[in-house]
Amino acid sequence: MPAMARYLTAVLQNRPIAEDFYELQFNWPSQAPAPKPGQFLTIRTSQSSVPLLRRPFAFSRYDHEDGSARIIYKVRGAATAQLAGKRPFDAVDVLAPLGKPFPLPDSETRPILVAGGIGIGPILFLARALHAHSPALRLIVGARTAAGLPSQLSGEYGEVIACTDDGSFGHSGTVIDALRSYLSTTTLSTNSGESVLYLCGPEPMLAGGHRLALECGITAYVAVEQTMGCAVGACMGCAVRVLGPERYARACTEGPVFDSRLIDWRE
Amino acid sequence: MDLTVQIGRSELYNPLGVASGTFGYGSEYEKLIDLNRIGALYTKAVTPEPRPGNEIPRIVETPSGMLNSIGLANVGLQRFISDKLPFLKSVPSAVIVNVAGSEERDYFTVVETLAAEDAIWGWEINLSCPNVKCGGLALGTDPEQVRMLTASLRRLTEKPVIVKLTPNVTDITTIARAAEDGGADAVSCINTLVGMLIDTDRQRTVLPGATGGLSGPAVLPVGLAAVYRVSRAVRIPVIGVGGILEPDHALQYLLAGAAAIQIGTANFIDPSIHQRVLEAIEQYAAQHEVRSIAEFGRLLR
Ligand SMILES: Cc1cc2nc3c(=O)[nH]c(=O)nc-3n(C[C@H](O)[C@H](O)[C@H](O)COP(=O)(O)OP(=O)(O)OC[C@H]3O[C@@H](n4cnc5c(N)ncnc54)[C@H](O)[C@@H]3O)c2cc1C
Ligand SMILES: Cc1cc2nc3c(=O)[nH]c(=O)nc-3n(C[C@H](O)[C@H](O)[C@H](O)COP(=O)(O)O)c2cc1C
Ligand code: FES
Repeated sequence: MPAMARYLTAVLQNRPIAEDFYELQFNWPSQAPAPKPGQFLTIRTSQSSVPLLRRPFAFSRYDHEDGSARIIYKVRGAATAQLAGKRPFDAVDVLAPLGKPFPLPDSETRPILVAGGIGIGPILFLARALHAHSPALRLIVGARTAAGLPSQLSGEYGEVIACTDDGSFGHSGTVIDALRSYLSTTTLSTNSGESVLYLCGPEPMLAGGHRLALECGITAYVAVEQTMGCAVGACMGCAVRVLGPERYARACTEGPVFDSRLIDWRE
Repeated sequence: MDLTVQIGRSELYNPLGVASGTFGYGSEYEKLIDLNRIGALYTKAVTPEPRPGNEIPRIVETPSGMLNSIGLANVGLQRFISDKLPFLKSVPSAVIVNVAGSEERDYFTVVETLAAEDAIWGWEINLSCPNVKCGGLALGTDPEQVRMLTASLRRLTEKPVIVKLTPNVTDITTIARAAEDGGADAVSCINTLVGMLIDTDRQRTVLPGATGGLSGPAVLPVGLAAVYRVSRAVRIPVIGVGGILEPDHALQYLLAGAAAIQIGTANFIDPSIHQRVLEAIEQYAAQHEVRSIAEFGRLLR
């Protein structure tokens, strides 16, 4: 794993891409290791003590050519509101790259990518990385309403299945509903081992994806979210429940990507 | 200036420590922070058996602070020796093992087992853990128990014994004096303050165990007052910890009477804090013609 470091870098662009969602593009220092899909960074949004902690965000894109990286974030509270106020040339204080990336599928395996809510960033990054090698890639993206879906989804990532909870755009229902019907209309469920799920989004969505993967006998990788302190494995604050004697794993260093079979999905 | 700090018969090469529980076992920060700047590395609490830790979520932000409910999650004594000590042998900093347990016996086990390890410079005795024998009350709240436990540990080791004080008591100076009477070489204060937050939408406490430990800039004034009072109540060195986020906070601790300091929560936030604090100490010393860390305390009018 390439070493993480703290970088003081600069905003290139910060623009709204859906209701309450923004994409922040910033300079990626040439000496920094290239971020991989599934990895994240933490940002200190304020130099004061409010908000205090750095906030974690998954990389949504990395462009080697122009030396830039991006995140897609939703405004939820103080830190993300401050982030939304950043202008080009403003400084950003990042700690990156952090965490384990998504394991990539081999050329025989068909990747199915599923994103809900703030899970969109890392899934789009993965879709971009896989698109050239896996033409059969499927991307399923969901939001509560049409306004919550990023506008520029089509084209770049092959065929996209969009869903909204209220049916205002694409399929009506959750991404897990769409995933279930997609899996049943393909021969995937009988041809197990040939597809792999990648999911990022709210916990009930990850749990639903996990159950479907078990039913179909396929592997699912989930990128989880947990409140973080250090983000480098030192504080045990970001624990997620896992099966096995240790009972907890650290989202920041052992994750945030886990094989869904390792997680203790209670509730 | 002379940055060294004398504790018992041992010396720290500078007054800057990193607080227990915020710096893991050192290796986590190796790539991020130059350990040559760290005078003392206080490990995560070590208990005889591994502990999985508390229910999740374990962290929540508060105004200018954070609450944690990690629950002494640690790898336990055996894996500390096999997995963590090898790295700690290579660090330039003084390695101070934070010792914890749920009864006296646990403290003895940890210190006895590790006593012969050359890589370990000393002990920080964490008395803030709930004690089963005391009906869950923290060990560190009863002066007589603190004195006896310190005295027993004193007999087990030649290395410096630092007793870490909890601020969750009526008068922290009585506990500090009890530690001194028991033979402690220093005291460190403060550990986290009991606190909680409530989610009004869900009508639940944010942390599953209701309360957690408050740290970060919000506790700075509490830590400073503790150091100020304790350093006037005991003759042994007092190590200041709590809320340092800026170099000026560290200077305030030294002026309050601290012989050394620890940085906790700020490790999560600003990896440049250690260098900035050391620079500030040297600059301040030059400006005010201070030749040693011990002289800082005399500046306060
Ligand atoms: C590995 C990882 C990747 C993430 N990737 C993204 C992403 O790509 N896009 C995105 O919009 N969001 C992402 N998040 C969530 C993001 O970190 C939170 O939305 C952000 O911290 C909210 O901060 P706030 O001050 O605006 O809101 P607050 O009002 O502080 O909190 C709103 C919610 O955010 C979460 N949160 C608060 N503090 C932290 C913290 N220190 N660490 C983690 N979560 C916290 C809590 O669930 C809280 O309920 C990710 C989280 C993790 C752990
Ligand atoms: C996540 C976390 C874990 C901690 N774990 C321990 C511990 O294991 N033993 C201990 O004595 N103190 C522990 N502490 C307390 C700190 O060492 C320190 O006393 C306290 O956080 C105040 O300093 P700060 O405001 O600089 O963080 C912990 C603090 C935090 C934030
Ligand atoms: S956030 Fe500290 S261990 Fe993961």
